[in-house]
Amino acid sequence: MYGDYDYDLHITKDEISIDVSDSRGFLTYTRVCQGNKLEKNIASEYGRIAVNPVEPVNLPQKITTFLEIRFDKTMIEPYSSKVIYLTFPIEIGVFVAARKDVEVLDVFSLKAPKYTLYGPPAEGVIARIHRSPIYSVPPSVDPLRLGVMELAVRNDAAEWAEISRAVFESHGMKIYYDREIVSLVARMRLHGRHGAETDFLNRPVRSGMVKSIEVYRKRDIPAMRRGYAMEWGVD
Amino acid sequence: MLSRIFGVLDTPLGYGGLTLGNLIIFLAILLIAAFAGRMITVNLKKNLSDKLPKNDLEMISKIVYYLILVVALFVALPYLDMDISGLFVAGGIFALVIGFASQSVVSNFVSGLFLMVERPVKIGDNIEVAGIKGFVEDIYVLSTVIRTYDGTYMRIPNESVFTSNITNYVANAARRFQYSIGIRYEDDADRAIAIISDLIRAHPFALDTPAPSVFVDELGDNAVIISVRIWAPSENWWDVKTDLLWKIKVALEEAGIHVPFPQRTLWLPEEVRLKVGRGSGAEPDPTVRQ
Repeated sequence: MYGDYDYDLHITKDEISIDVSDSRGFLTYTRVCQGNKLEKNIASEYGRIAVNPVEPVNLPQKITTFLEIRFDKTMIEPYSSKVIYLTFPIEIGVFVAARKDVEVLDVFSLKAPKYTLYGPPAEGVIARIHRSPIYSVPPSVDPLRLGVMELAVRNDAAEWAEISRAVFESHGMKIYYDREIVSLVARMRLHGRHGAETDFLNRPVRSGMVKSIEVYRKRDIPAMRRGYAMEWGVD
Repeated sequence: MLSRIFGVLDTPLGYGGLTLGNLIIFLAILLIAAFAGRMITVNLKKNLSDKLPKNDLEMISKIVYYLILVVALFVALPYLDMDISGLFVAGGIFALVIGFASQSVVSNFVSGLFLMVERPVKIGDNIEVAGIKGFVEDIYVLSTVIRTYDGTYMRIPNESVFTSNITNYVANAARRFQYSIGIRYEDDADRAIAIISDLIRAHPFALDTPAPSVFVDELGDNAVIISVRIWAPSENWWDVKTDLLWKIKVALEEAGIHVPFPQRTLWLPEEVRLKVGRGSGAEPDPTVRQ
């Protein structure tokens, strides 16, 4: 389902149908997802439609940029690193592109969103929450609903750390996809029992994957590393 | 022709060495500065609107605009043939006089500066201040403008804002709300709690953490009172509160659990009989002797 298309577009998969057709001199974009229908007119002649997974923080409306993934409690040895695999929720973005400009046309999802508070009410942040099992190899999941995150956890502290959550700033999320899998590669560096830093790497979990168009693009400044400091605990 | 024009420009205006030409240059510098300032602030707002909060952007724009004007004034003043050091002294005295003459203005000004530094409220925040509830539309140096919930424009002097208790409903990321829901004594309270908990779980903005709590809070006169406490993002708090209450009512009724009406059970002595007859509104019972 993911990929680039001409304006003559008809996709039906699972509970999703996307259709772009010419009516009354306009192109009409029609999307139905789990019974929810959206229609928009497109005034354009030469353009393309791109459908790909996007940062899962847009639905039902954008209130945050943070994503929290909760998983089974895991103890990490001092001065060690471990690669684990988690799932993350998928939101599907539809983009319209013409004359070197790309704009979001629609975002929808088969996964019901849920939000949480990471940290205390006064200083914490609202985050989209997702609960995931923990895997040692990339799991096989439905790419329309779930993506696979490769998370490299490194414990830089001299003491054991117990982790059961990772919070990410979704701006700068680098999502890749192919026919079978949607992927993200992230890092989590533990500074002690209660603090960590997370960020995303700009590479897929395997070769041959296509990079998604991002809804939120950050300018990449080489000297600056983007990420989020988890001050309110990792377990 | 040109010599005549220059001659006119060199016309003294009777104030020191000030000529018409110098006055025109002075005014032109100020006008150009005002125009440039406006252009720069418009461009600043356009380019930084998605990178900076609206509040910061407004403040930066104002600072840049007035800075340009002040610099232009100092550049232009020599054309008026004025001694700037004298201006400072005069300005100081003038400020003192103005300060005494308009204490409330100065007080509002200073309060405005403190508000900008302390920043208890930002543009767009939902607040209550000096007994007025609404959204902060703008924070000026002398006053703060509130748009009340019914759309009324309210200008509050900054001194009142600064010295009043300010409640900022969206300063924290999340806030809690509560319902008290009564069900009949014969209804299953555990089932009602399960139904309400499922609804909260399904709502995207009813926060997962801090966890909601649903419990029997009181055995009331007419109902078993179930207390429901839910945390929601501050910005969506009202929407979640209004949305969930009706969903809970509908879901409980679909499960046969009803909100009871106030009722009272009366126990009457044996010998008291209901008198039924003409004028009572009921059909007479032929078995009752009248």
